[in-house]
Amino acid sequence: MALSPRSRVVRSSLAFLLGITLLLPAAAAPAAAADPAVLRVGTTQDLDSMNPFQTALVVGFEAFTLNYELLLGFDQNLSPAPEFADSWTKSDDGMTYTFKIDPNKKWSDGTPATSEDVRWTYQFILDAAKSDAGATCLGYLDPYLIDASLKSVTAPDPQTVVLTLDRPDERILEAYVPILPKHIWGDQTIDTICDFQNEPPVVGSGPYQAQEWQTGQFVNFTKNPNWTRSQLGPDSVVLQIFKSTDTMVQALKSGELDYAHGVNPQQFDALKGQPNIDEKAGTANGYTELGFNTYGTGTGKTIKGGGASTKALQDAAFRDALGYAIDKQTLVDKVLGGYGEPGTTEVPPFQTRWHVEPDHPRTFDIELAKQKLDAAGYVLNADGKRLDKQGKPINLSLVFPDSDANYPQAAQFIQAWFAELGIDVSPAQFDSDTLIDKMLPPEAGKDYKAKFDMFIWGWAGDVDPNSLLDIFNCDQIGNSSDSLFCDPAYDALFKQQNEATSYDQRHALMAQMQNLIYDEAPYHILYYDSNLEAWRTDHFTGWQLQPAENGSPLFGYGSWGYRQLAVAGAAAPSPTAAPSENAVSSPSGGGAATPAPTQETSQPAASGSDNTALIAVIVLIVVVVVVAGFVFMRRRRPETEEE
Amino acid sequence: MGSSYLGRRIVQATLTIVFILFLNFFLFRLMPGSPERILTRNPNISAETKAALKAKWGLDKPLIPDQFIAYIESTVSGDLGLSFKYRGEPVAEVLGSRVWPTVILFGTGEVIAVFVGLGLGAYAGWKRGGPVDYVGNGISLVLYSTPYFVIGMFLLVIFATALGWFPTNGMLTVGATYDSLIARLWDFGSHLFLPLVTVSIGLIGLYSILMRSSIIETLAEDYVLTARAKGLSDGRVLRVHALPNALLPAVTIVALQLGYVIAGAITAEIVFNWPGLGTLTVDALASRDYPVLQGIFLLLAVSVVLANLAADILYGFLDPRVRV
Repeated sequence: MALSPRSRVVRSSLAFLLGITLLLPAAAAPAAAADPAVLRVGTTQDLDSMNPFQTALVVGFEAFTLNYELLLGFDQNLSPAPEFADSWTKSDDGMTYTFKIDPNKKWSDGTPATSEDVRWTYQFILDAAKSDAGATCLGYLDPYLIDASLKSVTAPDPQTVVLTLDRPDERILEAYVPILPKHIWGDQTIDTICDFQNEPPVVGSGPYQAQEWQTGQFVNFTKNPNWTRSQLGPDSVVLQIFKSTDTMVQALKSGELDYAHGVNPQQFDALKGQPNIDEKAGTANGYTELGFNTYGTGTGKTIKGGGASTKALQDAAFRDALGYAIDKQTLVDKVLGGYGEPGTTEVPPFQTRWHVEPDHPRTFDIELAKQKLDAAGYVLNADGKRLDKQGKPINLSLVFPDSDANYPQAAQFIQAWFAELGIDVSPAQFDSDTLIDKMLPPEAGKDYKAKFDMFIWGWAGDVDPNSLLDIFNCDQIGNSSDSLFCDPAYDALFKQQNEATSYDQRHALMAQMQNLIYDEAPYHILYYDSNLEAWRTDHFTGWQLQPAENGSPLFGYGSWGYRQLAVAGAAAPSPTAAPSENAVSSPSGGGAATPAPTQETSQPAASGSDNTALIAVIVLIVVVVVVAGFVFMRRRRPETEEE
Repeated sequence: MGSSYLGRRIVQATLTIVFILFLNFFLFRLMPGSPERILTRNPNISAETKAALKAKWGLDKPLIPDQFIAYIESTVSGDLGLSFKYRGEPVAEVLGSRVWPTVILFGTGEVIAVFVGLGLGAYAGWKRGGPVDYVGNGISLVLYSTPYFVIGMFLLVIFATALGWFPTNGMLTVGATYDSLIARLWDFGSHLFLPLVTVSIGLIGLYSILMRSSIIETLAEDYVLTARAKGLSDGRVLRVHALPNALLPAVTIVALQLGYVIAGAITAEIVFNWPGLGTLTVDALASRDYPVLQGIFLLLAVSVVLANLAADILYGFLDPRVRV
């Protein structure tokens, strides 16, 4: 493809810029640190709602876990820990849980926080989930209590909450439901909760409450004056929304930002070794899959004017054979820049307690894939095209959303591999909303036609794997199921594991489910993604990963990560922050790892050494421009003189 | 200036704006995707709730005539509707809070670019072949052909990240408290500087190239020769005879350029996370916030029309021939 002159200019300018970026070491100079105890967290995902029931995004969950507390939070290893409740006991039969709340507990506005707030919140969800209209306004929060079989919630006294279950189920301790203040939310009904904006200033019991929200720009959270559970380092937390990860990374390097959520692999690599910056490629609790439109499997249903282009996609043997033509390691290396793991089963390895590797793993072997296709009755015609059982050449559409830059690249690889099997693939990118409409089946509404063959997309899970397992249930067709897969055997296993009373029993059932999905292959899980995070160590210390081995400091589960932070230079567990003069003279460490507590002390040293390189670069640029100008003018000169 | 000239221009501008109103309505409804999906956010939504939501936002009625009439009625009365994304805030208020950052950034950028660019171009053309012409024209060509986001990233990496002289993003330091108005202005100014330089630099290239060729062309005219022959000083020839005539094409371009400036604004604003109309446009597109998008496009289209009208009127002053 020939490049137009303009795009050549763009490309060479970009290459030049990239070169410059690599030449310049980042200065450790915080440019504008008006308040030393402001924790600035950057993300490119825009906050969608301050109402916990109305958010579907990671950032929305992050915001509500700062505003509010869960009944029980999560510790570093994702085990239940005191949060709204101080302690809990389980009855002998495992069906009744009793929680105790601190008698002095207060909301951020000073109102006493009691068991009645818990009762109201949980009861609201129970009532809403029972009514048809209400469930729609509960967002992603409704399954937690229902899946854990919560039957009733009572508040016998202001410090006690009693939860009664239908069966013993420890997942009631992991319910990701924020406890809301009844005196603010009490007037809300199932009909009004959808519209309740919960505008800042928010009243909550979490460590920080939103004071100001400029849509698309930032949310400013300040410390809860009534927070007593731990010593909080930052006085306030600013969630800054960036339009481009490039700017976000520059802000992190310049010291204006303390934490960057979700950088890309190239930026991540470039940040390695930068002074005062740590980074971690944490394992995501999710995956990216190549999915198939299996609509009609088992049911024989068809969609007039829609559905998949070939019946072959309903055949597990066909989908299985394609799995041998996907080199997942190459995808991880080339598409993810090495940050990720080749995918296998539907429960990601992040879920160390539940993930199992498949009993019959596939290898990358194009020849084997061909043999399996032949054996399953999908033969080549004279032109080398693979035919389905109706004798029609198989041409598969491959759709994916525009939300992830990795999808088009993965699609190109898949297209090339499947071409070797004699199967043509036509990739197409859509915006997420259009794609959802395109992929929904008639079960979601009579106008939907599920007209696609394959897709690339991803899922992220909860602490409990249920939400990821649920996707393949028959009753999710028309809801979250995108492969439109249905196997009654899987549904039965789902129900059994959900009601299992012991870990071993549930684990065994879940292992069967993971193998079933792997073998029948409505999805080929391409890879388990990584969360690439980076943060500065010179403003705040105490960054800890949650979970410890493969997690990230923030954007984890609950507000645990924020609560571990301390102002750099201050003695970590001390109740009062040390004055910055002490920190300046502190002789600790030495070298790049030394925290630079104030602007004045760190800036001259850092920028001084950078200036030489920088001036050289600027001089170089000026020379290039001037020479270019001269060359251009010289060339034109003869013509102009002739005139 | 003849009143018929002015009248014709105003009628033309009004007709254009009416046409824009029509276009604005249909254009956004041709886009794929449905706004109710954003409104509800919840994948597990029932058909009844979806219908109720559509009814609430008037999306259940036919596009023509109901939705269209409602649109014209409210637009004429200054009501641009309620934003989907901004939690039901009136569009006029959403735009109001975002229009000033853009006006300050691009207004100031334009003014700087007009003076520096036209001045540089005029001087380069006047002293053709001189060192200012060589260097200035070379730089102008490079700058003109460089997109805003490249200039912006370049400045960002050097002056914000490496040198730490300026902040990298935003308009004010979020969460900062100010002792005085001066401190607040200082913070604003330091945030404004790099985006402003980016915008100015991009425009200076264009204006100086344009002005240079315009001056060179004018200098070859007979009346300039006559002026010289009359023995007028160089300065007087330039100021009184060459410059006013050379300015004519420049005025047209500056006015026409306004639309492109705003388009460029989007990339410059994104690089610096500047909370203006550019970033708002991107957000509104991503969330299919039709009312906000309509508001933005109406605002932009009307300002381009008005800028052209202003250019026409200015033409009348600069060039007596067009007043007929």
